[in-house]
Amino acid sequence: MHELSLAEALLDRAAEVAAEHDAETVDALTVELGAATHVNPDQLRFCLETVATATVAADATVDIETVTPRAACDCGWEGEPPSFEGTAAVVPTARCPECGDRTEFVRGKECHLTAVSVPDDAESTTAENDSDSTSTENDTEATTTE
Amino acid sequence: MHRTPIDRLLAALFGRSQRSQRAPIARAHRFGHDHDESTESEAADDVLAQFREQAQALHEEVVHDHGVFVVEFLGATGSGKTTLVERLIERAPNDEQIGVVVGDVAGDDDASRFRDHGVSVANVTTGKECHLDPGLLEGALSEFDLDELDRLYVENVGNMVCPADFPLGAQARVLVVSTTEGDDVVRKHPLLFEACDAAVVNKVDIADAVGADLDRMAADVQDVVPDMDVFRTNARADEGVDDLASFLANLRTGDHHHHGHGNHDHAHDDHVGTHDHHD
Repeated sequence: MHELSLAEALLDRAAEVAAEHDAETVDALTVELGAATHVNPDQLRFCLETVATATVAADATVDIETVTPRAACDCGWEGEPPSFEGTAAVVPTARCPECGDRTEFVRGKECHLTAVSVPDDAESTTAENDSDSTSTENDTEATTTE
Repeated sequence: MHRTPIDRLLAALFGRSQRSQRAPIARAHRFGHDHDESTESEAADDVLAQFREQAQALHEEVVHDHGVFVVEFLGATGSGKTTLVERLIERAPNDEQIGVVVGDVAGDDDASRFRDHGVSVANVTTGKECHLDPGLLEGALSEFDLDELDRLYVENVGNMVCPADFPLGAQARVLVVSTTEGDDVVRKHPLLFEACDAAVVNKVDIADAVGADLDRMAADVQDVVPDMDVFRTNARADEGVDDLASFLANLRTGDHHHHGHGNHDHAHDDHVGTHDHHD
């Protein structure tokens, strides 16, 4: 049950982004959640929406995208690891399907805020000054998932 | 868009779904997607990666700058973590300075047991949190003189779920399960085993009484994590603990080569093969 503290951290970050864009509200949040974590997506959504009511993201839609795990082995194999059977959620194995050795996850451990949408009427003067790894774009992509 | 009953409830209560009332055109701030590159900003946007980076920084400070050997113990409440660490403390040479960080939701019970062994103890009562995180551990470390310390045991909160996502920067994460938890306990918690470096099956003396198949438990560990060492112990009677102590000693000797899952910068284990330690 650490979804609440994760939700608080994600919303803190979203509020920072909104402030960077001089936005007073947030329209939508996208979170990539790795399947190799113990974070429950439904609980995370509930916590995000509940905590958000007291923040600039009060009316934001929350989109949680599951990240399929990817593992790599010293033998050279890399790919989507097989899952344990009979579990309610996807639980990837850490055993290499090629050689049987232990693998390391290269994807699937994320709880990653990947997009924050803010209203277009906010000042956009800071948008162009973002660092290389961030960019702004039209909101269309982020809202078509509804 | 995925909608849960909670969405519908909140929509009914607060009208949250009235998206059409908002500006139809909006700007989006989309973060970088380059997952091969662990950039600073990616860590800032990935809240779990932030904890892993904190653990890495703690590992650098405690293990490399201060030369402390750090072992974390995890497992359910009542699995025998405290008793096992007591047995390890009793084996320490007289000149070894030992510190113990004890995580519990509430109370001083474990901490006072360790104090009776004459070691330095920092008690972390999390109040509500179900696991220690690197920030809580860092706070607890301020109670020690790290330059004086040789070895640090960290006993996590009794929990088989949450600690998997929160490494603490130890050289080894040792997962303690016991026969009383049922011999299917390993298969119920694969992600936690995957996050650890060694396993202890404790309370082997009462395996028959509680109907636990020890070989099945060991086989399950090998199934979940192929190269993981499994130590069978009866910590109360101090049986089987020598093998675990040797494993940790070997780990320490090679600690510049071995970085376990406590430290996210994981190089593969340098102990070879599959070991099941029992007499």
